[in-house]
Amino acid sequence: MKFSSNKQRVFLNPFSDEIITIEKGKKIDIVLSPSMYWVKKISLPVKSVREVKKLLPSIFEESLPKGHYSYYAYKSEDEFIVFAYEDKKILEIIHGKGIVSSQISSIYFAQTEFDKIETVIGIDEINAIYLKDKLLLLAPCSWFNTMEKLSLDSLKLSKHKISLQQYGHIIDPKSLYKIGVLLSFFALILGSELFIAKSKLETIEAKKEEIFSKYKLQSSTLQNEAALKKYTKIYTTQIKLRKYLSFFLKLHLKKNQNIVLVDYKNRVLSVTVSNIKEGKEGSIVSMLKREKIEYKISFHSDTVKVEIKL
Amino acid sequence: MNQINPLQIGGLLVVVILFLFFKISGVQSEILEADKHFKKIEKLALDVSALKNVYADKKRIQKSLQKIFSNRKLQSANLKIENKNKKIKVSSESMDSIALNYLMGKILNDSYNITTLKIKQLSKEKASFEMEIKW
Repeated sequence: MKFSSNKQRVFLNPFSDEIITIEKGKKIDIVLSPSMYWVKKISLPVKSVREVKKLLPSIFEESLPKGHYSYYAYKSEDEFIVFAYEDKKILEIIHGKGIVSSQISSIYFAQTEFDKIETVIGIDEINAIYLKDKLLLLAPCSWFNTMEKLSLDSLKLSKHKISLQQYGHIIDPKSLYKIGVLLSFFALILGSELFIAKSKLETIEAKKEEIFSKYKLQSSTLQNEAALKKYTKIYTTQIKLRKYLSFFLKLHLKKNQNIVLVDYKNRVLSVTVSNIKEGKEGSIVSMLKREKIEYKISFHSDTVKVEIKL
Repeated sequence: MNQINPLQIGGLLVVVILFLFFKISGVQSEILEADKHFKKIEKLALDVSALKNVYADKKRIQKSLQKIFSNRKLQSANLKIENKNKKIKVSSESMDSIALNYLMGKILNDSYNITTLKIKQLSKEKASFEMEIKW
């Protein structure tokens, strides 16, 4: 028989104080002593192991002390060999022997690995294992006259290996699965939300670009704001110019009085009216004041010049 | 038998969810900011575009002024028109009140950027006229 060179085999006996040393780089296959699990041989009117596994908690319900158990089953001829074991307790014993989880390759029940033995095998100085009615039992060595020494090297390991739930005692795997699914679903929704939000952001940015090209705006907001400022200034100035020109054109002047000059440049509108002597400009001034127009007034000979800054 | 602690997976999922929350919150703030900026740009674009169409549309301004200046009411005014790249200068050494009223009525009732204007009374019926419009 050829063994994998990087695997080491260990019979896990909780009654032994032996610390197991594992060679560097090697992994171990552990065979659990019968004292570390409960086993039953049962006949059930079901065909598959899968169906049996569903029934195992109720099958073991009354025979097990309180604890958090995992179950295993396999078919042996017309019967089922079923197991119950406490992951946490087995792990505690494994860790107590100086083995860390990452060093473990596989874990087997002694029941599945020694199911063909014909003699009694002593596992330590006090206990021995033997087969009775297809079940591997643990018994004191004192019951037997002769026994063989335990050796795992010649053992052909079965396919019945178990995986210990390291955290099964913290949270029920089914609940964990449900919570995991729920959290994943929530994360998926959030992921979609993020995707939608990013698309929305891209759409806004694209619309912004569209506005720039549609209205032939300059490349920077500052430039456009400066343009708006410039045109707004033109708009307000032109509105004022029209308003003040309209004001002067509607001005009630005496028969001999005329507007002789209207001059607008550098945003200053000046209107010169003839035949008004200093002190007689009252009607013009009162109308300017009524319209709340800021003005400068000056006289030259018989003319009055009103200047308004736009 | 390297098993991952379910609490670690749960913790990882919670971290992923928190990260997504954080990212979404960040993107939503960006959306609000971008939307605000978009509305500002849109208003700015509409305003600039509207004002430009009024005061900086060379073709429109030249066409409408040409239409005004070619009116027969202004024939007697002998308008001198100087078209430049960014402005137009119009002057008349002497124009009657009908021509002046017509011209001023048309100019002031439309939107032009008048930069200089000079109307000087020459006699009871005549006046000289100078005007510059920019775009």
